[in-house]
Amino acid sequence: MLIERRALNAELPAINEMSNLELCELLASLGFPVDGVETKDDQTVLEVDVTANRGDTLSQRGMARDIGAKCNAMLSAIPHRTLREGAPLFPVRLEADACPVYSTAILELGMVASTPADVVCFLSSMGSTAKQMPAVDASNELLHRYGHPTHAFDADTLKGALVVRWGRAGETLRTLDGVERTLTAEDLVIADEAAAIALAGVMGGDSTKVTAGTKRVLLESAWFDPRVVRRMSHRHGLHSDASYRFGRGVDPVMAQVARDLLAARLEDWAGAKLLGAWTAGQVPAARPAITLRKQTLARIAGTVIELTEAAALLRQLGCAVVIHDQYLESVSPSWRQDLTIEEDLAEEVLRLRGFDRIDSVLPPLEGAPLPLASSYLQARNVARRLAHVGFCQTVTLGFISPDVDADFAGADNPPEGRTLGNPLGQEFSVMRPTLLASLKTTAELNLRQGAKEVKLFEVGPIYRSTAEGPSESLALAVVWAGSLGGEDYLTRLRPVQAADLLGIIRDLGVKGAIALQELGEGMLGVEISLSALPEHEDRIIPKFIPFSRFPTVERDLSLLVDLAQPYVDLEVAMAKALRRAAGGCFQSLGCVDVFRHKSLPTGRQAWLMRLRFQGDDRTLTSDEVDGWVNAALEAGQGLGAELRG
Amino acid sequence: MDLTLLPPEIAEAHQRFACSVAASADLDSLMRLKGEFTGREASHASRMMDVLKTAPKEQKRELGAVINALKNEWEEALKNRQIELEAAKKSAASLATSWDPDLPPPLPVHGAIHPLNRLMDRLVDVFRPLGYHVEEGPETETEANNFDGLNIPEDHPARGSADTFYFSAHAGKLLRTHTSPVQVRVLQRIAPDIEKLGGIRFLAPGRVYRKDEIDPTHSPMFHQVEGMLVGHGIGMHHLKGTLSYAMKALFGPAADVRFRPSYFPFVEPGCEVDVRCPLCGGSGCRVCKGSGWVEILGAGLVHPNVLKFAGIDPTVWSGFAFGMGVERTAMMVSQTPDLRLFFENDQRFLKAMGGLD
Repeated sequence: MLIERRALNAELPAINEMSNLELCELLASLGFPVDGVETKDDQTVLEVDVTANRGDTLSQRGMARDIGAKCNAMLSAIPHRTLREGAPLFPVRLEADACPVYSTAILELGMVASTPADVVCFLSSMGSTAKQMPAVDASNELLHRYGHPTHAFDADTLKGALVVRWGRAGETLRTLDGVERTLTAEDLVIADEAAAIALAGVMGGDSTKVTAGTKRVLLESAWFDPRVVRRMSHRHGLHSDASYRFGRGVDPVMAQVARDLLAARLEDWAGAKLLGAWTAGQVPAARPAITLRKQTLARIAGTVIELTEAAALLRQLGCAVVIHDQYLESVSPSWRQDLTIEEDLAEEVLRLRGFDRIDSVLPPLEGAPLPLASSYLQARNVARRLAHVGFCQTVTLGFISPDVDADFAGADNPPEGRTLGNPLGQEFSVMRPTLLASLKTTAELNLRQGAKEVKLFEVGPIYRSTAEGPSESLALAVVWAGSLGGEDYLTRLRPVQAADLLGIIRDLGVKGAIALQELGEGMLGVEISLSALPEHEDRIIPKFIPFSRFPTVERDLSLLVDLAQPYVDLEVAMAKALRRAAGGCFQSLGCVDVFRHKSLPTGRQAWLMRLRFQGDDRTLTSDEVDGWVNAALEAGQGLGAELRG
Repeated sequence: MDLTLLPPEIAEAHQRFACSVAASADLDSLMRLKGEFTGREASHASRMMDVLKTAPKEQKRELGAVINALKNEWEEALKNRQIELEAAKKSAASLATSWDPDLPPPLPVHGAIHPLNRLMDRLVDVFRPLGYHVEEGPETETEANNFDGLNIPEDHPARGSADTFYFSAHAGKLLRTHTSPVQVRVLQRIAPDIEKLGGIRFLAPGRVYRKDEIDPTHSPMFHQVEGMLVGHGIGMHHLKGTLSYAMKALFGPAADVRFRPSYFPFVEPGCEVDVRCPLCGGSGCRVCKGSGWVEILGAGLVHPNVLKFAGIDPTVWSGFAFGMGVERTAMMVSQTPDLRLFFENDQRFLKAMGGLD
């Protein structure tokens, strides 16, 4: 919202001496931060941020009024000649509750017509150009100066009575912007006997607009329900200065005043002659009083504020206040439509007192703090672990393109249930079924940027289509691409291998089968559900498990096996034999080296199996260990393995 | 010593001896030389003994003395050279296995927690001592949780398809536009037990979505950290005390907070919270545009309608809520010029901006 310094001063002479910087700080303290200060044609213009609830401040006078309330300063009187209400020259029928009051007047335009230079200048400060059509320029000026939108129809284009009514389904109206609009029963319209001629509070119609040739104008100054205007504006995608103000709530009392001002300007600027003025309906009655309890105010403010002080501040805002023993009752002024509950009043009291006077106190602890959820700790811990072993956490957008989705989603997860109806673009339209799609793109980008080794992971939700809608679950995806090593004199450069990534996932505590995916050349990825990770251990120290202090015996067996021999089968068979033979003395078994060479028999490879034994209560003898090793060897031989000579 | 008593070839060999010893570059050649001069058989020494045996009696005494002197001289020289060569060999061997400690060692390669996650984790750590725990909610939400339960009117523009992403096949399902629906979920869940719990205080960090085009300051997906406290007799002073503590814990002891009135449908009173610029300490800089303050949070006292919607009596319970934009704070603190860097995930950026905890 734009505020011209000169116009603001005119409404509130008390701030004449205030510097622009002081004014900006004052506005910010009232809840209107200033986004910019500009000088236009020698006039200082402030761009002020106004929150959606404060329709009353969307004008020079409205803003002046709020500043005046803070400074306890009087506004200038509106220079205004009250018109005598006469008999309607056009009947006006109000058929909808959403328009309780409709003031109008008819004037015959004179021959001389020009918009005064100071008004042209003011409009320019407001970012608007004078049209040199008094009815249009005056209406525009009133809107910015006093905040009340008005409209002028060419009276000679109207056919019969004016009706404010709900639209008829299928009815059409060409608005001033030249767009043909189809109306609904939720649109509030101004109509004549023939057709709708304006979208109430949003925009006038093209067929009744004032033109250079207009002889008689009919003025409209009314009040429309903010909710109705907001919905219409939204439905038609039509946002005007008028709908912006009506939609946030203007002062209904201003309906008549604005009409009088508009008529007076036409008389003064264009030599117009008033033919008649009349008002249909009535300004809605003042809202019921709001009770503000001393106790509530003290709770919200954090300190006792006497009701007399609160009442004085509310009166500065224009409220009519009656003080009782433990509470006050306040009737809001007609322009403050946003005040509805006692918390609103408390806020106003604090606002005028200054938010800087609020104390700073830590609230007492009423109940015992709750623990951090194990799922939260699990996600946090897994991220830390991966960061420590060299992986970078990524954050990527949750939506992907349908093409990428098709490459990754399973047949049991159709995209339809995960697709947005109003995406930013096709490439951001499907909620991802896997994090790997995004990680692949990110890894490729890093490789293109010259990274030799890319180690990434992401923890985030993935989506699945269900009958009830998209369902999310937390997943962890890890991608490793490129080559590793080669950066120091001890570590050889080599391509990343599947075992590298598997080791990382096993390190996280994942048991069972792990499905690695080859995402591209030299790029490996894996995604697991976060629920597959071991739960966060909440014990301070785990349960003690005794360990043997007798020496460990280690034996290596080099076995020749088929190239096609599945490792797991061999390990399972040998471990079974060892458990049977050695019982609790069997500690571990694993392959520690793989040797493939043309010197070996064709189709065979050598696996170096390392066996470890330890007694709980004694030092093992070489003979008994030999026996167990033989048992393991025999189990291996059962699968076609032979001892390498 | 009179070498003329010896056969001329031995005298000649002795003439060469000193040079030969010095010329022996390794132990092998020295051993060969040793064999040649002092070996048990076929050496100059053994030949001299043969000469001594056959020498006339009157010469034996003098010849014996010469032979002994020669043998001693040879053995002494050979021994010394052997010690020298052995020492040289040892030192060469030790060089071969020793390494210059200034050679660059293999360093463990570290990764990084994403800077946005890091900031969110830090906030959780800051609030943990005040008794806040973490609540999480889904990104896919209902209109009821995202709007209705938060006192956002039915005709509010934020509900429109220009601002909020909706799912095409499921009317009323949307991507949450803020972390505030977690308020609704938590309040509804605890409503039956609120007396027993003595209220609630929690943080809700998470991703949210709004229909903004991607540019240096906007993204259709970003992060918020929501905070909420519900208890008895909660007022604006409690909000100020809490945020003042938190901002000091986050930015340092100079980080004062300033409240400005503002409006959000789910709080009343509502405020914007500024923190004294963490970069210049309030003296004015580019980040705070010279004002000494940066806007960091939206906050307020929980609107009675929000409590009522969740089934909590607002005449008994009251509370506050606040929400922080994670990206904006991260950009402010780090002076990162472009929001897109956080979602591009270049490892160089992540390693420089993130950390291990």
